[in-house]
Amino acid sequence: MNGYGSSSSSSSGSSSSQPNPEVLMDQLKNQLAQAYAEEFLETVRGKCFEKCISKPGSSLSGSESSCVSRCVERYIEATGIISKALFSQQR
Amino acid sequence: MDSSSFGSSPELQNLLEQEKQRAMVNEMVAKLTSSCWDKCITGTPGSKFSNSEQTCLSNCAQRYLDMSMLIMKRFQSMQ
Repeated sequence: MNGYGSSSSSSSGSSSSQPNPEVLMDQLKNQLAQAYAEEFLETVRGKCFEKCISKPGSSLSGSESSCVSRCVERYIEATGIISKALFSQQR
Repeated sequence: MDSSSFGSSPELQNLLEQEKQRAMVNEMVAKLTSSCWDKCITGTPGSKFSNSEQTCLSNCAQRYLDMSMLIMKRFQSMQ
């Protein structure tokens, strides 16, 4: 993440040289959101491949695909359970 | 990323600070989910978590916190 303008003097006209702070923040937020999503996807791919595609055949079987979709749902749910357990401590 | 070169607007600084926190939290949740998933979800994923899987995940996260405290205390007592 580099190459952004160094000051926030807003100039009209060309959009690329010196974006104003609001544009910059939006870009930043988008990029961060995208990075989070990509990382999450990569993890889910790894976990579900491990769980569901134990012996890769010539194509994905029906049971493999349904395992994958259940796996994705469960992994998302697990993420929720973990963050709830971490941040709302009712012990 | 030093703050002098990266825009002096306070909103930007705020956002960065906020995002730094969020990134740390996200990373912790992601890491814990990954290792607790490996510990707790042993079979193929079903259409619903069983009670024991759910409890295991939740215990896993909370024990991790306990352990962190323990390790921190241990290290503090070494100094």
